[in-house]
Amino acid sequence: MDKKLPWTIKYRPRSLSEVVDQESAKNELLSWIKQWLSGKPLDKKAVLLYGPAGCGKTSLVEALARDMGLELVEMNASDFRRREDIERIALASSLQRSLFGKGKVILLDEIDGLSGMADKGGAEAILQLIEGTKWPIIMTANNPWTHDLKPLRDLARMIEVRRLRNTDVVVALKKICGLEKIYCEDDALKVIADRSEGDLRSAINDLQAIGEAYGKVAVSLVEAMTAYRNREYAPFEALRNLFNSRYAWMARNALLQSNIDYEQMLLWINEHIPTYFSDPEEVWRAYEALSRADVYRGRIVKTGNWDLLTYVMDMAGPGVALSRKITKFHWVKFTRPERFDLVFKSRRARELRTAIAEAFSNRLLMSKRSFTAEVLPYLYIVFQNNPEYAAKISMAYGLTNEMISFLAGPRAREIMSYVKKYSRRS
Amino acid sequence: MSTAQEYELLWAEKYRPRTLDEIVNQRDTVIRLRKFVEEKNMPHLLFAGPPGTGKTTAAHCLAHDLYGDNYRAYILELNASDERGIEVIRSKVKEFARSIVSGEVPFKIVLLDEADNMTPDAQQALRRLMELFTINTRFILIANYPSKIIEPIQSRCAVFRFTSLSKDDVVSRLKWIAEKEGVELEDEALEVIYELSEGDMRRAINVLQASSALGKVTVEYVYRVVGLAHPREVREMVKSALAGDFTGARGRLRELMISYGLSGLDVIKQVHREIFGAELKLPEELKVLIADYAGEIQYRLTEGSDDEIQLNAFLARLALLGKKFKVS
Repeated sequence: MDKKLPWTIKYRPRSLSEVVDQESAKNELLSWIKQWLSGKPLDKKAVLLYGPAGCGKTSLVEALARDMGLELVEMNASDFRRREDIERIALASSLQRSLFGKGKVILLDEIDGLSGMADKGGAEAILQLIEGTKWPIIMTANNPWTHDLKPLRDLARMIEVRRLRNTDVVVALKKICGLEKIYCEDDALKVIADRSEGDLRSAINDLQAIGEAYGKVAVSLVEAMTAYRNREYAPFEALRNLFNSRYAWMARNALLQSNIDYEQMLLWINEHIPTYFSDPEEVWRAYEALSRADVYRGRIVKTGNWDLLTYVMDMAGPGVALSRKITKFHWVKFTRPERFDLVFKSRRARELRTAIAEAFSNRLLMSKRSFTAEVLPYLYIVFQNNPEYAAKISMAYGLTNEMISFLAGPRAREIMSYVKKYSRRS
Repeated sequence: MSTAQEYELLWAEKYRPRTLDEIVNQRDTVIRLRKFVEEKNMPHLLFAGPPGTGKTTAAHCLAHDLYGDNYRAYILELNASDERGIEVIRSKVKEFARSIVSGEVPFKIVLLDEADNMTPDAQQALRRLMELFTINTRFILIANYPSKIIEPIQSRCAVFRFTSLSKDDVVSRLKWIAEKEGVELEDEALEVIYELSEGDMRRAINVLQASSALGKVTVEYVYRVVGLAHPREVREMVKSALAGDFTGARGRLRELMISYGLSGLDVIKQVHREIFGAELKLPEELKVLIADYAGEIQYRLTEGSDDEIQLNAFLARLALLGKKFKVS
């Protein structure tokens, strides 16, 4: 399937001059690496770049490498979590000369993702790596102040990358709109920037979600999406309290304290049960409890009996939290539920599917729902395998080009050319 | 398939019987329905039976024979799955019933399909509607499960039970269509279609058409069509879950529900088919355990309000069972 490049990748800065803002970080980084490469002795052989998500840490390093003509050896902590991996890959590349005779810079991305049981020894391996390295090492982290990272903090030069200003975000977004030739309202970009809170990556993602779906970026479209997000803005603390609570009352309180409505909260819990729990039995017990909570919620809807709400809370709070077998506080990152984005991104697709169902269901004497479940799968087969036949069906049911693309994917063009041929004839 | 014609209907539409005489099965039912046409009078009707047995078609044929080719002007077609609540149904019926009946048939027909998808409360409201407009309207209710229709409605209707189609009925109909379409055909393929479609004529015809669009109707092609029609994601989802990759399985579930537009019920039914299917090769004992929980979740799907949460519980259970049975 034709997957388009995420704009956050497509529009990564090519050189330091393209990096938005961050002048002091740029300068400090440049002077450090120049000193490294000139062979003068250094007090710190590694740098720890830190700052909030999406403010451009990784991009900064990539741009630096390109400007200095260095080969970037990138390691993402989420890919290499075990000590053996880090040792094997990083040690090997830090000692050897570069393949292309170029100098190298080693990037250890998101090292704060390393903390936790699975990565025991990870920090230690990095320490070793820094001690023995022949090349500059740059690490990045969102939050460098955790206990696990203490030894690394001592060994590395700390450079802060700051949260971006909203005006900088707007400028960056505007540039992308220009390059993508998408019409955008200035106010819409401001709304996106405001809600990104200095996270350029999330801002660009929002821009792409709206721009690609609608071909333009208007305030109304942005607000439709941000309305979704504002409400869910701060359940992080509630989630942390909930999952880590030791007693039933704590879990209940965590739920009641959250400032988003309980239906949204259930979706956040739904997303993060597997983030927090790793043992399959815990995961199942937690979902079983959440499933019961959802059943009580369904009964409220059907009977209008709001007294049942307390049982929803019981199962979604203590029910989920106390599914774990041992009580041990641990920190996990709670992110926005994927499902929200999926639903938003697939909105156009769902509209199309409904339109297709409407074109057929009345004539097949069935509901749109049954059409989607029972007939649509066969239409996909015909449209993806026999363009000529698909063209004839399209004409019989008056399908638009967009509907044809939806059904046929890459073969849509062939179908459309048949449609053109036939309509000319008749 | 002739190349001269430039439009191609779905055969489920093209070869649907238009009059009661064209219906080849459900003989007793058809005989009784013809009486209504002769007398130009009928009570409220309830058509019940499995999918693809001709309930909706029979209702349209009846209306056609009563009112003639332009029959759709005299009936109000509603589908309980698509209408938003009883209020919408009430206002539509009201408006429809208010207009005056002309012609020799003294009533109009409200056709309510998938009526068993209505809640008992909505059905109570429907019952009052049926009484209110009984002078100049008749209701035909269509349902898969008559037991899901409340007693007071059942007792006001003449109930017609539609039975699953026999193998002969399905095969001979498919053969007839294939001849008309000039399709290249293996007789054995038709029997396979019958087996796979479980007596559901519409499904059988869809498989026949898709298979012929791929080139020919052979056993091999039929299996290919049926394989393609069930999104592979269902099987892959079950496999990932059993292998312990819960998050991966959940991702596929979202794909099925959000991108393919399947309801939770559709998903759990297809999962059930997969469990006992030949592809997954599960230990016998495990099949039973999974089926049991699938049944529980299917029930909760109707009780609860978020399909994904319910199915996540199912997938988490699979991950746990997979670990116990060392499925990989």
